[in-house]
Amino acid sequence: MVGIDVGGTFTDLFFSRDGVSVDRVLKVPSTPDDPSRGLINALTAAEVHPDDTGLIVHGTTIATNAVIERKGARCALITTRGFRDVLELGRRDRHRMYGLTGVQNPLVPRALRWELDERLDHTGAVLTPLDDDAVRALARTLMEQQVEAVAISFLHSYANTAHEDRVRDILLESNAGWQVVTSSSILREYYEFERTSTAVVQAYLQPLVSRYAANLQSRLAEQGFATPTFVMQSNGGLVPLRQLGGRAANIVRSGPAAGVIAAARIAAAAGFDHVITGDMGGTSYDVAVVVGGRPRVAEETQLDFRIPLRLPMIDVHTIGAGGGSIAYLDRGGILQVGPRSAGAVPGPVCFGRGGTEPTVTDVNAVLSRINAHNPIGLTHLTSLDIDGARRAIGQLGDSIGLGVEATAEAILTIVNQRMARRTRLLSVEQGHDPRDFVLVAFGGAGPLHGAAIMREVGVRTMLIPPHPGVLCALGCAIADLRYDLSRTVERRVSDVTTATVHAIFAEQRAEGERQFQAAERMTVVTEHAAQMSYAGQIHSLRVPVQSDWDLARMIDAFHAVYRAEYGNTLGTIPVVIVSLKTTVQGRRTPQAAKPAAPATPTPAPVTARRPVYFGGWTDTPIYDRATLRPGHTFPGPAILEQADTTSVIEPGMAARVDGFGNVLVEMQ
Amino acid sequence: MIDPVTLAVVRGALEQIADEMDLHLIRAALSPIISETNDCAHGLYDPTSGETIAQGGYGLPQFLANMQWTVQRVIAVAAAEGGFADGDLWIVNDPYLSGTHLNDVVLVSPVFVDGTLFTLFANTGHWMDMGGSAPGGWVPSATEIHQEGIIIPPLKLFEQGRYNEAVVRLITANVRLPEQLRGDLAAMINVFAVGRRGLEAVIGKYGQATLRNCIAEMMDRSERQMRSYVAEIPDGTYAVHDWFDNDGVDDAPLRVALAITVDGSDLHFDFTGTAPAARGPMNISDGTTMSMCLVALKHVFPDVPVNGGAFRPTRFTIPPQSILAAAYPSPVGGTTDVVQRVVDVVFAALAQAIPALVPAAPFGTTGVATMAGRHPGSGAYYVAVYPYPGGYGASAGSDGLVNGTPPGSMAKFMSVEMSEHRYPLRFDYYRIREGSGGAGQHRGGCGTAYGITALAPCVVSILGDRVDHVPPGIEGGCPAAGNEVRIVTGGQVWTPPLRSKADRVALGAGDSIRLASPGGGGYGSPLLRDVQAVEDDLNAGLIGRDAAEAVYGVVVATETPVGNRVHRMLDGPATAANRAARA
Repeated sequence: MVGIDVGGTFTDLFFSRDGVSVDRVLKVPSTPDDPSRGLINALTAAEVHPDDTGLIVHGTTIATNAVIERKGARCALITTRGFRDVLELGRRDRHRMYGLTGVQNPLVPRALRWELDERLDHTGAVLTPLDDDAVRALARTLMEQQVEAVAISFLHSYANTAHEDRVRDILLESNAGWQVVTSSSILREYYEFERTSTAVVQAYLQPLVSRYAANLQSRLAEQGFATPTFVMQSNGGLVPLRQLGGRAANIVRSGPAAGVIAAARIAAAAGFDHVITGDMGGTSYDVAVVVGGRPRVAEETQLDFRIPLRLPMIDVHTIGAGGGSIAYLDRGGILQVGPRSAGAVPGPVCFGRGGTEPTVTDVNAVLSRINAHNPIGLTHLTSLDIDGARRAIGQLGDSIGLGVEATAEAILTIVNQRMARRTRLLSVEQGHDPRDFVLVAFGGAGPLHGAAIMREVGVRTMLIPPHPGVLCALGCAIADLRYDLSRTVERRVSDVTTATVHAIFAEQRAEGERQFQAAERMTVVTEHAAQMSYAGQIHSLRVPVQSDWDLARMIDAFHAVYRAEYGNTLGTIPVVIVSLKTTVQGRRTPQAAKPAAPATPTPAPVTARRPVYFGGWTDTPIYDRATLRPGHTFPGPAILEQADTTSVIEPGMAARVDGFGNVLVEMQ
Repeated sequence: MIDPVTLAVVRGALEQIADEMDLHLIRAALSPIISETNDCAHGLYDPTSGETIAQGGYGLPQFLANMQWTVQRVIAVAAAEGGFADGDLWIVNDPYLSGTHLNDVVLVSPVFVDGTLFTLFANTGHWMDMGGSAPGGWVPSATEIHQEGIIIPPLKLFEQGRYNEAVVRLITANVRLPEQLRGDLAAMINVFAVGRRGLEAVIGKYGQATLRNCIAEMMDRSERQMRSYVAEIPDGTYAVHDWFDNDGVDDAPLRVALAITVDGSDLHFDFTGTAPAARGPMNISDGTTMSMCLVALKHVFPDVPVNGGAFRPTRFTIPPQSILAAAYPSPVGGTTDVVQRVVDVVFAALAQAIPALVPAAPFGTTGVATMAGRHPGSGAYYVAVYPYPGGYGASAGSDGLVNGTPPGSMAKFMSVEMSEHRYPLRFDYYRIREGSGGAGQHRGGCGTAYGITALAPCVVSILGDRVDHVPPGIEGGCPAAGNEVRIVTGGQVWTPPLRSKADRVALGAGDSIRLASPGGGGYGSPLLRDVQAVEDDLNAGLIGRDAAEAVYGVVVATETPVGNRVHRMLDGPATAANRAARA
């Protein structure tokens, strides 16, 4: 099987013939004008033949980029009379806590937003009926406006989809070429702004993503691949390429989700259930928490200001700290690093593309943590411009009275602290003690900084997987298929019957399982949950439940979850079922790698030595990842080099290779 | 001289302690106002000067500097009673000392390290009910503070580790939600243990002496940073005044006067000329006034750090017993609207000096509508609260935002569908208020309009402002449309006598309220607005043809019907000629 992660800068590939051992891992430049070309290039470069693989899975940034750069479809929005502006108004907020400037740029401009007379109440009862002729008249107007896609979002449509469905049917009768999306088909939940926004994101992306899927399908066919092809979704599950258009909103940020899936899987195999994943690349640091082997799922994410997407996603938090982050002095003369980044162009000073401001990568180069003579992922030069990087860092150091190395180390300390702070806050926010977690460090820069993050956060063990630079591609290769379904109930338990709950679950299960009819070699696993709260609360909790539980059992489960989360319950206050959720997963036949037999600890072979700066220039052993075997051990300070990244083991730490080829680093 | 790395790292570590305290309370509090709108704040303060060492980044802007003034006043009271002892914990909600309103309760915890007082931890949290004549503590017709709830003067809740249970019993006997209050109090006390653990780790790593030096240096650096911004403001005195329409009791305008004097890197806020304390609840304490000045400053210079060093270049003159320095027994429940005008006048004054950096006035009124009654089915009592969103002012860089939250808050508006699930109230519309943004080269954001119909009898109270005195524009930009409050009873549409304030109006089934919040002020002359932007505004319906021609000076070339709307194209050369003739 082949996993491919198409990122903004690089397209990463992970190839395994038998699904267990690794046959090829590589990075090629992405081709943003037509991402499918980069994907084909990666397949070609990896010399993967159609007969070699039964499966191609990939993650892509096309959906995210189209929203951020506003390059999606010309899309109309139809709403209930009086609610044309729901999409633009949002829920009363601003861009950031401080600063009142800036506007938003809604995906559908006001001139393309239309109202129809119709109204439902919160139970789904019709207050104002829909007038078919008015819909037909509006269809003619939309033809004049030359829209490509139409989103329909009526108030309370989650309680009764009839009006949205009728408008869709009439629009398609008028023009079968339109891509029409009803809000209730994307998200059957209340909160009109969030549901409308989610439906609009889907409509806005659907034409573009459908074209991409068709294009990729034909390119693969040209190359002789008739292989089943899947795409990674942000919920950590896969969707078949042929269904991709209809799931366009579900594939934003699929790369980071894939990384978390892979990190969780690798850590679980190695015996760690509680995981913090730290993925550091060129511009950002993505951190996520995995508890009990399950990545935490967020119910909503913000794609941009006032563009919420309310679909379950692996909960990945991002801060602007990466290899390209720029170091500078603030007005108080205090050293700061990021979030401003040198980006791919001009990039760090040492990349020799015209960058002049010192970056984190320059610091790693100057301190000799990365090998100046083997620049990873760069084809335009054979060695890094260390002199240039020293000059840039030296200039900054002059203004705070520090030498080049001391300034470089200061920059490192500060960027590491920023990442460590976010990591700690994330676990504290969710009520965990970081000492119970293992840190999986990956991404191009993650293993360079993981040791420092681990030390600062108080994590005891860091796991560096075998191919940390292409972990997202690996995540694609091992993920399962997944569909999430949800339905708003918003009633007190006293007003609901057990039979109603069972009927909704059964309906959701049937709908989810229908998606997998064509897929073979798969075990279908269904899980249910209820979002529940005390009457009057705005926030609700996700309570895992079984399909045959009665209401009393669900209430007990809610109290248990509430106590675990907040340390107490609110006694006799009535309990509300906000919504019922079902997740249907198609689990691919697990082909878990087996650990090598326990090996006696033996010192790893040192392949080279060079001076590396750890508070002073220190003669440091260099290890080659390709020569490491299970049982190998080595003490810090040490540098571990491999094709896709470099790892730093700090003084006072020790590393060993486990039976799966992971490097485990522990504080001594 | 402290090495720059230690300095940066210690600052980060202290901010982390305050952030973690914020997050712990937000998770643990029972009060939905704390857990859902982050109506709280936590920080570390100098035990002698009371200056803010670090404050968490999750609490509301309005507490930015308010915490420091409160801690300083508690230090004075504690000194008079023999000073802080290890194991003491002080509590206060007296708004004349601790700012905002009675619902914001402040705890102050002295932290001793090796027998010496190292720092003060303090936090504030919004408690749901403090007694008084109405649930929630908001009484639009209040004429003295006792109608708003129970006052807790600064006193020791713990004395050298001994819990004064009697004080808590006295408080809980006077409020409507005693169990919830006990839960919130326990959560706020527990947070200090979290902070203490974090602080001990930092002290263990760097030692007390280094830490003290770092803190002193940090303050100096923050002061330097703030001064570097102030120094960029041209020296001079910038005087403005603005008005409140009335105080909710007497129908007379209330003047807010401000003269900001910039002298090098010093900043003086002088509110001399501001109206004396109002009979109704449109008053705030001086601590809140000072805090909101700094909030406004931070909206202009977002990178300014939040600590006492950054506050040092500022000085305040606020006439005692005025609406901005309330004294006993003035009611303070209108704080949500009063704080907005403080931000407005700071922006207006600074706009004279640095117009390129300051936005025009935002909507300027929180216009809280409270609707209360019984569910027709269950008979259960409900209270629904709808605070205004509104337009932000335009700036040199951009048009103004629509549907903004007040500058001192981050709280959101309830989802319409959620509201209809909870209350027997139906939204007739919730939309952009067309034509309400102040015209300008950059247009102010439009206000928001909504109509709500009662499905069963209820009472509605409204506390807003900005009907008679509207949000102004800057640099030749035009003012925004003012607030509009209409009530419909028995088919009759009427405006309440105080225009934006109404106390407990009875609505029957089918009666409704129609509210329209102000937009934000415009920036620059409308005749300079980009012609394409005017055309887009016209076709989006944000301005009408009349305003486009009269105010923006454009010439319409073509009109094409699109459905029930009209698509217009402007005549570029004719517009240029027309504008040149008018200039």
